[in-house]
Amino acid sequence: MINIRINGEEISAYPGEILLEVARRANIYIPSLCFLKDKKSPDHPCGLCVVKVEGEGIVRSCVYRVERELEVDTEAPEVKVIRRKILEGLVANHYGDCKAPCHTPCPGGLNIQGYIGFIAKGDFRASLALIKERLPLPASVGRVCPRFCEPVCRRSFVDEPIAINDLKRFVADYGLEKGEVIPELPPLKDKKVAIIGAGPAGLSCAYFLRLEGYQVTLFDKEREPGGLLRYGIPAFKLPKEIVQREVENILKMGIDFIGGRSWGKDFSIDILRKEGYEAVFLAIGARKEKTFGFEGEELAESGFKFLIAFSKDEVDIKAYYGKKVAILGCSYTALDLARTLRRLNCEVEILYPRSKMEVPVPLREIVFGEKEGIKFTYMTVPLSLKKKEGLYYLVLARTSLTEKREIKVLSESAFEMSYDFVFRAWGEAPTDEFKTFGEIEAKLELTPEGTIKVNPHTMQSSIPWVFAGGDFVHGAKTVIQAVASGRRAATAIASFLEGKPLEKTSLTVKFDFSRGKRVEEFDANFIDLFPQERRATLEERTPEERVKDFKEVLSGLTPEEAIREANRCLRCGCLGIHKCDFREILIREDVGVSKSRKRMKYAIEKGHPLIELDSNKCVACFKCVRSCPYGAIFLSVINKGTLQEYITFKFTSACVNCGICVDVCPTGALTKKDLLVPYSRKQARSVKSVCTFCGVGCNLTLWVKNDTILEVTGRDLPPNFGATCVKGRFGFEFYKSKDRLTQPLIRRSIKEEFKPVSWDTALDYVAENLVRIQEKYGPEALGFLCSARTSNEENFLMQKLARAVFKTNNVDCPARV
Amino acid sequence: MHFEEILNASLLFLIGTNSTEAHPIVAQKISKALDQGSKLIVADPRKIAFTDRAHIYLPLRPGSNVPLLNGLAYVILKEELYNREFVERYVDNFEAYKHYILSEWDLSRVSRYTGLKPFLIEQAAILYATSKSALILWGLGLSEHRSGSYSAMAAANLATLCGFWGKPGCGAMPLRGQNNVQGACDMGGLPYVLTGYQSYLDEAVRRKFQEVWNVELPINEGKTLPGMLKSALEGKLKALYAMGYDVAMSHGDIGEVWRALSNLEFLVVQDIFMPLSGKYAHVVLPSACVYEKSGTYTNGERRVQLFERAVNPPGQAKPDWWILTELGRRLGHNWNYTSSAEIALEIGKVWQGWAGINHGRLKERGLQWPCLDEQHPGTAILFTSGFPKEKVHLALAKYVPPLEEPEEEYPFILVTIRKLAHYNIGSMTRRVSSLMNLYPEAVLELNPEDAKRLGILEGAKVKVWNKRGEVFYRAHITDRVPQGMVFTDFHFDNALTNILVSPGLDELMDTPEYKVSTVAVAPA
Repeated sequence: MINIRINGEEISAYPGEILLEVARRANIYIPSLCFLKDKKSPDHPCGLCVVKVEGEGIVRSCVYRVERELEVDTEAPEVKVIRRKILEGLVANHYGDCKAPCHTPCPGGLNIQGYIGFIAKGDFRASLALIKERLPLPASVGRVCPRFCEPVCRRSFVDEPIAINDLKRFVADYGLEKGEVIPELPPLKDKKVAIIGAGPAGLSCAYFLRLEGYQVTLFDKEREPGGLLRYGIPAFKLPKEIVQREVENILKMGIDFIGGRSWGKDFSIDILRKEGYEAVFLAIGARKEKTFGFEGEELAESGFKFLIAFSKDEVDIKAYYGKKVAILGCSYTALDLARTLRRLNCEVEILYPRSKMEVPVPLREIVFGEKEGIKFTYMTVPLSLKKKEGLYYLVLARTSLTEKREIKVLSESAFEMSYDFVFRAWGEAPTDEFKTFGEIEAKLELTPEGTIKVNPHTMQSSIPWVFAGGDFVHGAKTVIQAVASGRRAATAIASFLEGKPLEKTSLTVKFDFSRGKRVEEFDANFIDLFPQERRATLEERTPEERVKDFKEVLSGLTPEEAIREANRCLRCGCLGIHKCDFREILIREDVGVSKSRKRMKYAIEKGHPLIELDSNKCVACFKCVRSCPYGAIFLSVINKGTLQEYITFKFTSACVNCGICVDVCPTGALTKKDLLVPYSRKQARSVKSVCTFCGVGCNLTLWVKNDTILEVTGRDLPPNFGATCVKGRFGFEFYKSKDRLTQPLIRRSIKEEFKPVSWDTALDYVAENLVRIQEKYGPEALGFLCSARTSNEENFLMQKLARAVFKTNNVDCPARV
Repeated sequence: MHFEEILNASLLFLIGTNSTEAHPIVAQKISKALDQGSKLIVADPRKIAFTDRAHIYLPLRPGSNVPLLNGLAYVILKEELYNREFVERYVDNFEAYKHYILSEWDLSRVSRYTGLKPFLIEQAAILYATSKSALILWGLGLSEHRSGSYSAMAAANLATLCGFWGKPGCGAMPLRGQNNVQGACDMGGLPYVLTGYQSYLDEAVRRKFQEVWNVELPINEGKTLPGMLKSALEGKLKALYAMGYDVAMSHGDIGEVWRALSNLEFLVVQDIFMPLSGKYAHVVLPSACVYEKSGTYTNGERRVQLFERAVNPPGQAKPDWWILTELGRRLGHNWNYTSSAEIALEIGKVWQGWAGINHGRLKERGLQWPCLDEQHPGTAILFTSGFPKEKVHLALAKYVPPLEEPEEEYPFILVTIRKLAHYNIGSMTRRVSSLMNLYPEAVLELNPEDAKRLGILEGAKVKVWNKRGEVFYRAHITDRVPQGMVFTDFHFDNALTNILVSPGLDELMDTPEYKVSTVAVAPA
């Protein structure tokens, strides 16, 4: 052995060993895109593996053999300069999306392309499991999400965006109907967390804390959990039984709920602390109603309170039935209220001081309202309100907008209208009332706006063990944002309770290649690859019918529609990201991607039956060519590393589809067509397996996530040393086939139909009959067959059953087929 | 034996194996050996891919493996090319063997059976015997004949004559078709031996098992599957319990199998998909598949390898060991296995070859049995220091011609083969969309001359039939197939090839004669 020093660290190497391999053995990082163990270096090596050897200067560590004692520096400045230059050359020729555009705006950070990919394969449960890694309320969010993702969906350049939220709703409903996907729960730790407010933020925080093993108690002033999902959002948008079941699923994980206990009235944070809660999460929502500020505004009824009372059946419906109503403001509350009142046969008018384009809700909400016969009067402000003899008299004026888009009242246009009821619904904001709830509460710091002050990443307040999130912190926003803040808080609370610093989330945007976001940046050649196809739409009940009741307006997609819709996805996000060494190296070497190519050079090739080729992502490492056992790849790279670089890649007729080229490719240039879910290897479990087909017995690695095998790779062990055939790498999805036997079946005679029975019944039936036949005809009347596909242990038991239990040597196996 | 030995062989002799389709990773190693300069002899009726790289190609008539191998031995003996030193030291029965070969297998007779010119056989024999090292690889093309077992003996005899044993790049190795057929045999899934090929007729062996199992063991001779089926037809065998083995699709002459199964009083099938045998079953038990449980498989190198549970089984499906354990318990036996790992330990107790094997040791990599204790590294090559019984016995390999000869009514020989994209009866691979895209239906390969004569065009539907039944295929016309022969797979349940397969069985081992059946062919 030779002792060498790498970056000052003493390491022993075998004489003649390749320096790069020595370093890798010692877990010392040296980047390389083209190094392949036991294979010749390509004609134009990537050159990234350069290191500085004392006395010799810069060498390529992938070919440098250790023959003497050495002093090696892998991070010398001159080395870094060379690497940067090479990487910048590669960046300039790279074109693709590391992550799909839909991924970025989602407050929940859902793996959207991933869950759509699972749906495309008909694997609804895996899709739901993937969603529930980050969103515990998918059926609710799947109905009320404003869809931050859909406007940026690339598909809209082709025709219309993917119905992302409808797909989410579909799998969530599928779960509610066919049996929930229950995440694996760790055993409970001896640490308690209290959550005040059982709305989306509180429930989400509870869910993620429970997944980390904490004991969680949810407190809420209402008797039932759910917050605004239950008490705010009307049933025709979000049916109560959906909320009920989703909330139940969360509580069933072993989370305590204590309802009817109001913070500030029944308890304070101090009491919780004394009861042994080591952290508290405040998520009571935004309950302070905003005002507009006009004379007599206080006379108007509260839309917010009306909706809550209505959901609790505490409204005297007769008093409102068929009345003429004005609603001031165009918030979610205003729309929900308007549509609720329409269902009480009211004549409803929404008054809003600005234009239709400026409403603070998605336009689709307005469209629903319009269809249901709600009158929208824009550019109109209330000036004063009076109440006389049971009627409201509202003085209104038209508005215009200043250049700064501020509201200018046109007072000369003032006119008076009369209504049976006038509601105010300007939206809600967090309150600061809590300051008076107790000693600890008094110490909580506020923002200049008067809301509780928290660190936006950790949701931690000025008191380290008190966290806050949801609408209580950032005002009335969306359910998905509340869920996201609950999850962030849970992560921070867990770190806090374990006394660990919070892991910095790696913001890798600087290293995310993008094909462009806006239409003017975008290369239309990409969208030309996709034929137009209609977007799936939810079936909508007719306005005439739906205003007569409170039943849900939209019904979900059918499985066939969902699969079809999921297959419209352009799969923008790189499906090789899990194996992309290139990206890892860019991050390590801190080389950004802003100078990447903006135009597509090569069409994406889908001609190969199993492999998709995107030469726009090729780094010309020739690993594919060098690892192909069949010489089945033609690759030529002209002007490598320059902007004039031109790549020609072809699978020749010698290709037998084994797929090793995909596994060695260090980017997304080669990807597997059957892998539709972007993932990172860290998120997946790698499971050792053995191929179930021929007698060679190749060692395989299964990459598993969401109870699903995402892909299979060869393991570097005998007999296959990383190689597999087409069946080994691509032949695994049979286990998900709908033809699988899932229940024991029995029948008395082969003329009858089978009937499904329990294991007990089936096994008793087998035992009984085998014993009967043995007793009646003797052991020789029985035969037992082992299998060439079951394990050794199982075959051992089968022959033991024959010999030890039934006393016969009538045992055979498929050695003869 | 180690598949890596292929790389050490200066000569490879492939007989009855198309590893390109059936054992692709072995084929990769063969290619690599050839790239490094190894020589190649291929014996196969069809011009399989490796014939393109063969130094000598022996297109023998289906079923004539014994004549060919004995003919090679004839040349080696006649020309005195055998390894005298090895024969004297290790070999038994040499004189009788020599006499048998020289008196019965002169090349004119061999030539008559195989259809090969004597000159070619001589060349092959000389190349084989004069190589520094030689490895014979055989597949089902050798074994699925009436004289399949004799063919294996004849192949082993060649290696013995030339002393090609116990050295790098030497030997004779069957390529096992299914991933755990080796293990199923090792475990005692055979009617004539217990676990580890130990005889139940041996008192000491029986005592050892009885101590571990705490029961008396039967000593009546057991029946092979064909024996059981025959017995069922005779009304003697009344019940059959088939685990992961779809007899009604995979056996030869399945029409007869169906009659036998429908004659049973009680049939239990245990599988991951409804097998064809389910039609005759009284009980169907749903099993977990390989990804849904842990356990070990043993490959063709005797390498015991661990596979671990990755996902949950669907519905109520359970691992086979769980089902059998529950059943054993119900039958009043003290079976308390809670994992496959526990069962593995019991195997080591009744069989020395597995004594050093446990799941813990297999976490990283496999072990080749014999593995005698917990420190033992396993055994890559058998017979490096002599043979288990003092000397190697040269058996007299008999020739039994195929049961059926082509005649006027059924003029074609049908040979069943495998396709790369599929595995065995296809129950798994037909349920993988990528593989179905590659190979969506059963194809009949036939020679251009025959196709022309019968008026069959490429891709046309054809009917293949004999007195046992008829099956429809899509035609693929290729000169890789000799005239008078047709080749097809048995991967598809809408083309049940095995219904056409001859009722012939290997004289010694009962293996069905999948490789020679006579049929008629016509456009459909």
